[in-house]
Amino acid sequence: MLGFLLGETVRDLRRAGRVGVSAVFLITLSLAALGCFWLLSLNLGRAVAEWRERLRVIAYLKAEPPPEAVAPLLKRIEALGGIQRLRYVDKREALATLKRELGSQAGVVDQLPSNPLPASVEVTPARDAATPEATRALVQRLMELPEVEEVQGGTEWVERLAQWQRLLGGIGLGVGGVLALAAILTVTTATTLVLHVKRAEMEIMRLVGATEAVIRVPLLLQGLLQGLLGAVMALGSLWLAYTVALPRLEPLLTLTLGLQRASFLSPLEVVLLLGGGGLLGAFGGLLARGRGPA
Amino acid sequence: MVQLQRVGKVYRLGPVRIQALADVSFRVGKGEFAILTGPSGAGKTTLLRLLYREEVPSEGEIQVAGFDVTALRRAEVPMLRRAIGIVFQDAKLLPGRTAYENIAFGLRVLGVPRREITPRVFQALKAVGLSARAQALPAQLSLGEQQRVALARALAKEPALLLADEPTGSLDEAVSLEVLDLFHQIWQRGTTILLATHSRTLASQLKRRTLVLESGRLVKDEGG
Repeated sequence: MLGFLLGETVRDLRRAGRVGVSAVFLITLSLAALGCFWLLSLNLGRAVAEWRERLRVIAYLKAEPPPEAVAPLLKRIEALGGIQRLRYVDKREALATLKRELGSQAGVVDQLPSNPLPASVEVTPARDAATPEATRALVQRLMELPEVEEVQGGTEWVERLAQWQRLLGGIGLGVGGVLALAAILTVTTATTLVLHVKRAEMEIMRLVGATEAVIRVPLLLQGLLQGLLGAVMALGSLWLAYTVALPRLEPLLTLTLGLQRASFLSPLEVVLLLGGGGLLGAFGGLLARGRGPA
Repeated sequence: MVQLQRVGKVYRLGPVRIQALADVSFRVGKGEFAILTGPSGAGKTTLLRLLYREEVPSEGEIQVAGFDVTALRRAEVPMLRRAIGIVFQDAKLLPGRTAYENIAFGLRVLGVPRREITPRVFQALKAVGLSARAQALPAQLSLGEQQRVALARALAKEPALLLADEPTGSLDEAVSLEVLDLFHQIWQRGTTILLATHSRTLASQLKRRTLVLESGRLVKDEGG
């Protein structure tokens, strides 16, 4: 029976002709668009996650506290809430860091009469508190501490990046959705054409006692195969575009987003895209209506 | 094998009510050969369509091959049709497939194992005298031969009941007699047959039980 169903499916695919090819092409287009935006959104998402991880709020102190006052100060800051990690940086460490960053120019620092850099506390916000509102509130609370002179840091630009990521995801879904709808309709048209061509066969099938499942499964498989074929082609073109564009785009990504390496869809995402293609096609095949059952 | 109890069929076309069959009751026993005859429009085709559940009666009860056809759900219709072989006036052969493939197609859709298909197809072709024409396409066959292939397709299923709706309607007299002779041979091998024909001459030549329909009513049941 399986052999019969597959044989009929291949026969139906041939019968679908150009409309069938158009359906595969449209599925390719819709999944390639969806995959493209997905890829961009994924990499932007990675950048956002990395930047969120690196996010610091720095509270500069009015004066360097004596060593025995550091621990109570840190304890009070920690009690403000929404904090993952705290690190006290004394004046000496701040100067050493500056020297390290200046590299060959570090000698300039030695010319200074005294260390001008303030002691500070580096605050890493908790993961769930790395939002603009939560960070603003944290900055406000830090400012209220009498030891604190100034507070620097915020998440606004990271959030803007995250908004871009969401926008890209939304556009991808929108464009992909419209194209997917067109693809479903094309598969439905292709399958309906096949239904008209095989009207006589279906009549014989019903008269000899074939079940509706046996009659309709080849149509469903036809749609499924068109969908899978479209998904494979979409993935192929995405991979090709990714491989060609990556060497040119990577330096730009590193510079603007701090991403060392862009990544392609994960195996799970590839399977999801393939499954999506198959579902699109199968759904189109399922929607096709010819002469109803007796 | 076939039992009808006060069966009626009404078609409604808006306000118009067409009584295609009214109060039809008869029984065809297992192994019987019955002819259903009557003028065109008498209700022969409608009656056969009720038997293989292409249509549902407006009233009455129908039993076919152990199935209560009136109570049958749509999903159960294929089971009924597997027990029945049907032959029409037009052979309903698939033009792109050979005689062999046409018969095999009917078996493959039923899930008959591949190894059983070839012997059953050739047995059916032999029964209708067309073993040598297995690879011919319908267009290469005469109308009589096409009708024989259709008969072979019905026979290959090894049905308990064979329904034929004007199987000789498009054939000349000599070929018609050949086809009717085949039906006779098939009946002699034990298949129950209900054959509909508008030709009273052919019906009388078969010398079997004859059910006469006129304006949707069974007016005569003779020779049973």
